[in-house]
Amino acid sequence: MSKPLLQRNTRYLLTWLPVVLLFCSFLFYVMLRMQAHHMQEKQLLLKQENVWKTFVANKGNIEKHIIGEYDIVEATQPVALNASRDTLVYYADEKKSLPFEILTGRMQWNNTSYNLTTYVSSTEISHLIIKVFITEAFILLLLLVAIVILNRKSSKLLWKPFFSTLHAANNYDIARNQPLALATHTGTTEFDELNGSMISFVNNANTAYFNQKQFVENASHEMQTPLAIIRSKLELLINQPGLTEKSASMLQDITEANDHLSQMNRNLLLLSKIENNQFPDAGPVDVSQMLRHLLNSFQEHYEYFPALTCNIEDHVVLQANRSLIEILLSNLVNNAIIHNKENGEMNVTLSSSYLLIQNTGPKPDIDPMELFERFKKGSYQTKTTGLGLSLVKQIVLLYQYQISYQYLDGWHMIKVTFR
Amino acid sequence: MKLLVVEDEHTLLQSILEYFTQEEFLCEGSATHADALNKIEDFSYDCIILDINLPDGNGLRLLQHLRKQKKDDAVIIISARDSLQDKITGLDYGADDYITKPFHLSELNARVKALLRRKYVHGTDTLELGNLQIELFSRTASCGQQKLSLTKSEFDLLAYLMNNPNRVVSRQAIAEHIYGDQSDNMPSFDFVYSQIKNLKRKLKEKGCDDLIQTVYGLGYKLSL
Repeated sequence: MSKPLLQRNTRYLLTWLPVVLLFCSFLFYVMLRMQAHHMQEKQLLLKQENVWKTFVANKGNIEKHIIGEYDIVEATQPVALNASRDTLVYYADEKKSLPFEILTGRMQWNNTSYNLTTYVSSTEISHLIIKVFITEAFILLLLLVAIVILNRKSSKLLWKPFFSTLHAANNYDIARNQPLALATHTGTTEFDELNGSMISFVNNANTAYFNQKQFVENASHEMQTPLAIIRSKLELLINQPGLTEKSASMLQDITEANDHLSQMNRNLLLLSKIENNQFPDAGPVDVSQMLRHLLNSFQEHYEYFPALTCNIEDHVVLQANRSLIEILLSNLVNNAIIHNKENGEMNVTLSSSYLLIQNTGPKPDIDPMELFERFKKGSYQTKTTGLGLSLVKQIVLLYQYQISYQYLDGWHMIKVTFR
Repeated sequence: MKLLVVEDEHTLLQSILEYFTQEEFLCEGSATHADALNKIEDFSYDCIILDINLPDGNGLRLLQHLRKQKKDDAVIIISARDSLQDKITGLDYGADDYITKPFHLSELNARVKALLRRKYVHGTDTLELGNLQIELFSRTASCGQQKLSLTKSEFDLLAYLMNNPNRVVSRQAIAEHIYGDQSDNMPSFDFVYSQIKNLKRKLKEKGCDDLIQTVYGLGYKLSL
């Protein structure tokens, strides 16, 4: 599962930073303990020295036992010497035992051995350790929060060029053939590099796409002349005397195929011209008038025009190129005639926001999504170029209209939404 | 009538020349800009059919040169470029008509004839074949003394055939002539058949029988 970069970064920090901090606290605690112990030993030794000095100076006439301070006893039993130990000292008046650290040293005076044991309270030091540790824990917690916040802030700042690159890449559309506008000086070497390679990548893609489009256009252009030659020779040929019926029928087939080829070529050329945005001059087009005129002329020259129901709103005006709208309308109407059934019907509805063309007809034998692709056509129609609807789609794309297709209860419905 | 055809594609040039020679034009062909320029300088033509893309120069320059010299030869541009802008540019340079490749020779013929009529015939503009007569300006047709009542398409169709008499004109050429670019999207040219049928019937009613012959499945021929 993928998550946003910032979130992942924070999550990572929040997972591992506490572990590290816990380990550090533990280490800190151990060190603190060691240092405290060391300090206590030093204190005990110092006290031992001071007490003994006083003892010698007063020739043994000092208090031998002060609770919590020292004990001087003649050495009779062997005890652990010169190593500090923990012990509990019972305070009778307070009725409780308190922890002390003690150190016993063997001293010689007047040929007598004394064991001098000095005491240092452990209570204060362990209180101190706890206080220091709590403070440290608090600071570490603050540190954790600060690191996470700072990290988020700096990540946001650092990754900013990346996000703007991402945004630009998301908005990039090769069909519009525009260059990718990216900063080449982001202040971060890697992002400069990324942007640089993105720009050159997009430029290459644009060039390739442009060449591809150009190729279709050029190829179509180049085909015009040979097509014109074939057509002219055919016209001369059908005027030759002594034409037999058999050769006439062959000529007929050739003529038809050649005309089909010319049509296809012209449509391809038109398609690539629309893609290349070569129809810039847009003006107001009265679609209602154009559609009525078109339907009339189609009705006039099709003997078997489907029964037509019109619902055309007056004065529907679009800002567009006139010839393109004409192509759009005639392709849609024509489509509804070709893909109709015998004694079929056709409904045309035009309003200021949409055009709806419905016609009866057999269920399409290809995926409706593919209807608008080039050369995708139902198998039963061989005389169409297979480019009509893709021209429609291209025009719709150009003017940012919307087109949808539906087949329901024996009716094909194509709807173009203008806005 | 003198005709100059400037076209760099040899086979196409040949076809055009052959077609117009049969139409009893005095035809000359030219495959290069330089050659065409010489011919324009030395002679004057009634009509020039001009391709724009020539190997050694642009046909439009030739046209410009011609108009600078105040020569009023009728000029029809034949070009593979079919955008409106190209057409406008061509007409701006002083061309009288513009036709895109691939075209039908019968269409080119009809346009040349229309141009020449505009140039030389003033006032009445009549085509005749036998006792069939059509008046292009007022768009009326009559058979002997009897007026024919024709629809717009039927009239266009008849005029087209009258412009190409004694020739087989293909159904495709007729469709394109009458319906222009729209014919691109037509799945069949059956409507031409029905138009012809109606036209034949109307002609027969007024006594102009058998002027239009169907030549196998290829097309139609108007002849006496």
